[in-house]
Amino acid sequence: MDKKRLTQMGLLTCIALIIFVVEMQIPLPVPVPGMKLGLANIVTVYAVYRYTPKEAALILAARIILGSIFSGNPSALIFSISGGILCLSGMIFLKRFIDKKHIYLSSIIGAVLHNIGQVSAAAAVTGTMSVFAYLPVLTVSGCIAGLFTGICAQIAVNRIGVK
Amino acid sequence: MIILKKAAVLFGISLLSLLCGCKASEEPCAKKDLFAMDTYMTMTAYGENAEAALDKVSNEITALEKLFSVTDTNSDIGRINSSCGQPIEISADTADIITRSENLSELTNGAIDITVYTLVKEWGFTTGSYAVPLQNRINELLEYVDHSQISISDNKITIPENYQLDLGSVAKGYAGEKAAEILKEEGVSSAILNLGGNVQTIGEKPDGTPWRVAVTDPFSPSDTICTLSVRDKAVVTSGNYQRYFVSEDGKKYCHIIDPETGYPVDNGLASVTVTGDSGTYCDGLSTALFVMGEEKAIEFWRQHRDFDMLIITEDSRIIVTEILSENIEFADNAPSLQTEVIN
Amino acid sequence: MKKTFWIITAIAVIFGAALLGCLRFFRTPRVNTVYIRSGGELIYTIDLSEAEDCEFDIEYNGGVNTIEIKDHMIHVKEADCPDGICIKTGWIGGQKGAAPIVCLPNRLVIEPADDTSDGRTR
Repeated sequence: MDKKRLTQMGLLTCIALIIFVVEMQIPLPVPVPGMKLGLANIVTVYAVYRYTPKEAALILAARIILGSIFSGNPSALIFSISGGILCLSGMIFLKRFIDKKHIYLSSIIGAVLHNIGQVSAAAAVTGTMSVFAYLPVLTVSGCIAGLFTGICAQIAVNRIGVK
Repeated sequence: MIILKKAAVLFGISLLSLLCGCKASEEPCAKKDLFAMDTYMTMTAYGENAEAALDKVSNEITALEKLFSVTDTNSDIGRINSSCGQPIEISADTADIITRSENLSELTNGAIDITVYTLVKEWGFTTGSYAVPLQNRINELLEYVDHSQISISDNKITIPENYQLDLGSVAKGYAGEKAAEILKEEGVSSAILNLGGNVQTIGEKPDGTPWRVAVTDPFSPSDTICTLSVRDKAVVTSGNYQRYFVSEDGKKYCHIIDPETGYPVDNGLASVTVTGDSGTYCDGLSTALFVMGEEKAIEFWRQHRDFDMLIITEDSRIIVTEILSENIEFADNAPSLQTEVIN
Repeated sequence: MKKTFWIITAIAVIFGAALLGCLRFFRTPRVNTVYIRSGGELIYTIDLSEAEDCEFDIEYNGGVNTIEIKDHMIHVKEADCPDGICIKTGWIGGQKGAAPIVCLPNRLVIEPADDTSDGRTR
C-alpha cells in the first residue's frame, strides 16, 4: 500500500469521523431507536467507488470503532458493526451492477441493509422479535437518508479526480 | 440534473406502489365500545355502512339488556321473578330467548337450566357475600329448579311461585346472534364483536383471512393458551377461573351451579370453549358441557356434531374436536399440554 | 440502462412496502399486557389493567432504567443511556403505543404482549 493512498485513506477516515461527531448534535424529529441520517456514509459510498473493497472496509472499520469511542456509547458498537458489514458487503456486491452514474441507488440499498443489520443485531441481543416492528419506519427513513447521502457521494465522486 | 430527474421518477413509482397497496387493504373501519350486560364490550366492523350498523347494534344490545336484566325490577325478567305465579306479558325477544333456552335444557337433559338462579343467589354469587349453604337449604331450593315448569305461549309466560329466572348463561350469546343479524342486514360482511368474553364473528377479515380468537389460559387468566381461527362463527367459553370463591375450609367454588345437585361444578374441567353458527346455542352449550363433565360432553358432541369444542381439564389436558384442531395455534409461552383430538 | 431500471423498481417497491408497514405501525391496538425483557431475559409480565401505580428500577450491566406505571400505562421515566430514546418513546398501555419501548444501550425492551388475535374468549 503506497504512502499516498494510505494518507488519503487516513484523511477520509478523519472526514467521516468529523461528519459523524457533528451529526450526533443534530436532534431527531421522532424517537426511533437506530434512526439517523447516516451522513458519514457519504465517505463509505465514496470509498466503495474509489478504493478497493479491502480499503473501503478498513476505512469503515476505523470510523465505526473510533466513532463509538467518541460518542461515548460503546454498547452501540455491535449494532453499528452488524449494520456496517451488511451495508458495505451489499454495496461492494452492487458495484458490479451499478455504474458510477447511479451511485445514489447503491447508497439507498446500503442504507436499508444497514438498518436490517442493526435491527437483526438488536433482536439477537435483546432476544425480542418485536424490535422488527421498527424495520418499516427505519426502511423509509433509510431510503430518504440514503438518497441524500448518495447524491452527496455522487457529486464527490464526479468532482474529485483521482489518479 | 439527471440525478434529480431520476429521484423524481423513483418517488413517483414509490407513491404508485403505495397506492396499489392501499386499495387492497384499506376498508373503512368503525369501532365502538359499550358497557352493557355487566361487562365491557368492544365491536369492530368494516365496510361502507359500518359506523351506522354498529350504532344500531349497540342500541339493540342496550334494549335487550333492559329486557333481560335480573336486577332491574321493571325488566321482563324482573317482572317474571316477582310474578307470584301469575301470567306475565313479555316482549317477543324475551319469549324467544326463554323458548330457546328451554329447548337447550331439553337437549342437554337439564345441564343448563335458567331456573337455577335461586341457588346462584343462595351461594352468594349475585351479591359477593359468599357462603356454603347447608345441605337442607340446598335440597329445599332444588324444589324450585325445574325448567319444565316454565309455561310460555303467545308472549305470555307463567312460572310457579318461588321460581326465579336468570338469562346470564345465554343473554350475551343471544345478543351476539342478534347483532350479527343486524350487521348482515346493514350490509356489513366483516365484523368482530367482543361481548365480554363471548366472541361473535361476522364473515372474515377484510383481507380474506379468518378471525383469530384468543382462548384464555384457565391456569393464568391474563395469558392466552391458544388462538382459534374462525369465519362467521360464535366463540364462547365457560370456565371455573373467572368468578369463584374460596370457602373457609380452603375449597374452591366456581360460579357455575349444577342444576342437578345444587352445588358449584367440580368435575375436573377448567374450561369449555364452544364454536358454532348460533351465539345462543354456543353460549348455552358451553355452560351445559361444563356442567356435564368430560365424558358426557364428548358423548354429546358425538351425537350432535353441529358445533365444535375445546375442553381444558384441571389436570392440563386439552380435548379438541377434529375440525377445530386444524384451526388451533398454541401460544409460545403456553404450558405444555397433552392434546387429544376426538372425532 | 435496463439494469438501472430494475434496481430503481426494486427500491421503489421496498420503499412502498415499508411505507405500508409504517401505516400498520401507527395503527395502535389495545394493549393490556406487556413483557419486560432485560438482556434478552423475560423478567416481568405485567397486566396493566390490574397494575397499581408504581415505580421501579431495572439494572443491566451498570445501566439503570426507571420504569413508571401510572393509570394502567407504562413508560421509562428516567434512564442513564446516552440517547434517552427509551424515555422519548413514551407510554404503552390502553390505546397507546403498539411499538415496543427499546433501550438498546441497556438492553431493555418493554413490548406489548397483546397478541395477534382479534378477539378473546373467556
